[in-house]
Amino acid sequence: MKTKGLLCSLLLMLASYFPVQLQADETCMSPYMAKITGQEDFVYVWTLGMEGVGDAQDKLVTVDVNPASKNYGKVIASLSVGGRNEAHHSGFTDDRQYLWAGGLDTSKIFIFDVHSDPAKPRLHKVISDFVARSGGVVGPHTTYALPGRMLITGLSNSQDHGGRTAMVEYSNDGNYIATHWMPTDQQLRGAVKTGKFADGYGYDVRALPRKNVLISSSFTGWNNYMMDFGKMLTDPEAMKRFGNTVVVWNLHTRQPKKIFDVPGAPLEIRCAWGAKHDYCFTSTALTSKIWLIYEDDKGAWQAREVADIGDPSKIPLPVDISIQSDDGLLWVNTFMDGKTRAFDISDPFHPKQVFEQSIGKQVNMVSSSWDGKRLYYTSSLLANWDKKGKDNEQFLKLYHWDGKQLQQQFAIDFIAEKLGRPHQMRFGAYALYAGSNTATDRLALSDSR
Amino acid sequence: MKLPGISVLLCSLVVSAAASAAGTILAPGYGELAFDAPAPGSYDLPVIDTAADGKVLDSTGASTRLYDLFQDKVILLSFIYSTCNDVNGCPLATAVFYRLKNRLQQQPEIARQLRLLTLSFNPDHDTPEIMAEYGQGLQSPGLDWRFLSSATQADLDEILDGYQQPVSRISDAQGNFTGTFSHVLRVYLIDKQRQIRNIYSVSFLHPDTLVNDVETLLLEESRSGTRSAQPAAPTQQPATTQAMLGLPAMTMPTDNPLTAEKIALGKKLFFDRRLSLNDTMSCAMCHIPGQGFSNNEMATSVGIEGRTGRRNAPTILNVGYLQRFFHDGREYTLEQQIWGPLLAKNEMGNPSIGFVVEKIKSLPDYRGRFEKAFGKPAGMTAIGMAIASYERTLNCANSPFDRWYYGKQANAMGADAIQGFKLFTGKAGCSACHQIGKEHALFTDQQLHNTGIGYRQSMSRQPLSHQITIAPGIKIAVSSEQITSVSSPRANDLGLYEITLNPDDRWKYKTPTLRNIAVTAPYMHNGQLTTLEQVVRYYNRGGAANPGLSPLLKPLHLSGREIDQLVALLRSLTGGNLWELAETGLSPGEK
Repeated sequence: MKTKGLLCSLLLMLASYFPVQLQADETCMSPYMAKITGQEDFVYVWTLGMEGVGDAQDKLVTVDVNPASKNYGKVIASLSVGGRNEAHHSGFTDDRQYLWAGGLDTSKIFIFDVHSDPAKPRLHKVISDFVARSGGVVGPHTTYALPGRMLITGLSNSQDHGGRTAMVEYSNDGNYIATHWMPTDQQLRGAVKTGKFADGYGYDVRALPRKNVLISSSFTGWNNYMMDFGKMLTDPEAMKRFGNTVVVWNLHTRQPKKIFDVPGAPLEIRCAWGAKHDYCFTSTALTSKIWLIYEDDKGAWQAREVADIGDPSKIPLPVDISIQSDDGLLWVNTFMDGKTRAFDISDPFHPKQVFEQSIGKQVNMVSSSWDGKRLYYTSSLLANWDKKGKDNEQFLKLYHWDGKQLQQQFAIDFIAEKLGRPHQMRFGAYALYAGSNTATDRLALSDSR
Repeated sequence: MKLPGISVLLCSLVVSAAASAAGTILAPGYGELAFDAPAPGSYDLPVIDTAADGKVLDSTGASTRLYDLFQDKVILLSFIYSTCNDVNGCPLATAVFYRLKNRLQQQPEIARQLRLLTLSFNPDHDTPEIMAEYGQGLQSPGLDWRFLSSATQADLDEILDGYQQPVSRISDAQGNFTGTFSHVLRVYLIDKQRQIRNIYSVSFLHPDTLVNDVETLLLEESRSGTRSAQPAAPTQQPATTQAMLGLPAMTMPTDNPLTAEKIALGKKLFFDRRLSLNDTMSCAMCHIPGQGFSNNEMATSVGIEGRTGRRNAPTILNVGYLQRFFHDGREYTLEQQIWGPLLAKNEMGNPSIGFVVEKIKSLPDYRGRFEKAFGKPAGMTAIGMAIASYERTLNCANSPFDRWYYGKQANAMGADAIQGFKLFTGKAGCSACHQIGKEHALFTDQQLHNTGIGYRQSMSRQPLSHQITIAPGIKIAVSSEQITSVSSPRANDLGLYEITLNPDDRWKYKTPTLRNIAVTAPYMHNGQLTTLEQVVRYYNRGGAANPGLSPLLKPLHLSGREIDQLVALLRSLTGGNLWELAETGLSPGEK
């Protein structure tokens, strides 16, 4: 049993010198997933087709972002999927073999193989019966990896295209598992309503596995997210149909536990990474606030408004947010003024804005590298909410962040390149699939946090 | 005697301590669960997939199959390799199984029904002999724990593929295999029907949750034996097309008499989202049964890809009684009308009639349906006839007003509504257009009028800002400039003029029925008024002045109380069978 002794000492060495990476803000993905902790090679941009631009259909655009590559900053692949499906968010499976990308309009889910050739994703499968299988859920939004399966938040339903919706589970190979309807006044499903609302709306979801907690937010239904933005703003009936809730769930049982009032459409949820940081942030699109969803010292989950974003009376419309891996900064993009803002969240109850910069005429998504030094921005919010005319800039931009300022590295004009409206970004790397273990490409393959 | 399994376990525990000292956070499976594991049987574990079979070698070297090992037991299956060096990887899976085994010594009833399988994905190194060594000392009586390997890489690959376990060999900078593998740790819970019921990874894997999940499956099994039969679905009330109280007998087109087959087919078409170019919009997405077959959630409709419609979706309740269709009255039969939305670029977006016909023909669930209903395949006229047939069954009356006025039930309607009726037919003059007959009422003269609401939209200047409610109770002023920056140009709407090109017809729109008006907000052809009070007040002012204003409109000088009484009447026009129609969506005649 000499081999065992050798193995044991090897293990000790590894444990001492290569502590397992337990967290990564590689754009706020599921914790159950391999992370790129070094330099990413690619950014996959889920891009909306735009009438009159190129082939006018949705596509997965692959951009080479490794500075050592001769194609640095260039589009190296573009895979059109047919139709304008309202391409929106995407997420990898827990093994990072496939990228699931949803269409909010057609409710199709496109599953791309990103492991066979990370430089050139391939369309592996299309789920086109999501609405029927799920029992009427419309608008697959977040595709969030759980072990061996995907949890997909819906935004709407096929009865009335309103905001009542559910979360839907699929197996990694694309088979329907279950539908979990959001709690409403009529069907609280065992949840406690802590405030005035139990609207049943959905948007994003994140898990804190060590707390057995799942947190969901609420936006609006197909009627509104597909509607011309200006038409909607001036329609009082439409403006009544926004989510005002955050729901805390039992992760293991998928049962809703507590419903909080978080008025004004809470969107992205980003949970802190620290081992004892039992809190998540969300921002409200219409009321322009940062909210903290946290576990109090009695072990009860609470929701509290903790900061304004810009001047709420001007509707800056906060959209994507991104938390740094050290839980020190929260990046917040505001669509209407095209700005990115950094909030110091070292005291999560008192975020303070410490930086602000204009990125473009409009800005939506922000994705951060694991080390927080590279921030990627895209411009499109929703096809019919994007600005019109000359303000309708459509770009992917890379900035370097040195802790004090952002320096633009490259920008790709998605209209000039005949691509469309760039939305969500996900990172790819050869190292994820090559079995490489070099220092620069070291990966965190643990899903723990 | 050496105990390699224990040594591996001990080794991993030593590593754990070292890792902990080095600042590494250990997986929850090594410690106490930080929350109460949900009670067994208090939740469902839905089926994720069928568990795959495959050839394996047991630790004696005998060949067997996974399905043989699954026999009559709940299974926990983990993939490991014996030389795994990640404290939160394979050693974790083995450590958790070990803790589980110890715990189940107190629960032999569960242990008896469970089998643990630890399968190596490194057959080159992990021979049956090595796996026997690995497992030695881990096993003990009372719980069956098997340590498995594969005879060939091909056998293993089949299993890895079946369980979607990607595994890659880690090489050093020179490309030499380091003896380690990159993989995602997964443990599978498999029920006695060989179905995967849960999958655990590093953050999930804990003996407490494993035990409770196993127990949940066992409870489910014991309950299913005694589960009572599902209650039968409520039987549908047999429905008829007889006229309801308050409605006249409907005149059916001679070439399209109602039949059960046509109605059923029309209903299927009406609710079928595939009738739009991109399979997202059915007729029912704008004419929503639960919203009075209209749309309460927006002023003007939104069609395919979110394209803006100019007008509010009217209710189609009682539409079979109408003589002209669309707000501008441009169609004359329901059979023809249905092709308008199907082909409009901003509604259902179909490129041609032929496209719709061929698409329906190609859908397997329509096979034989048109032949049965019409004696011929799907075609332009038959599609129109089918949907029209269904819509002619959406008749909704027997409202409190009907029971009071036609049914002579004195208490069917409240005193305010009765006063409202007197105003409606008297001082307010509403019934000049929203006509009420002696034996029945459609509440429409089927004519088109200029009330000024269209003129106001086309001709008034944009305000500098809009008051917008951004959350319940929170209103802010948003500048028109800001709104314009995110607005597509809005198409004008000139009403009947667009059909006749006669300037006298500018901004004339059809008189809508008032039946079910309380459930079909918002109001007017463009949905500009959100409440019935606003509508009555609008007419009380005499509409919006313009050169073509209908002479029937003039200031009414109604008091606040009188306005309330009119609204009370309007609220008494909701049909007694509305919710039956809305909830079942079923049509009279459909079996």
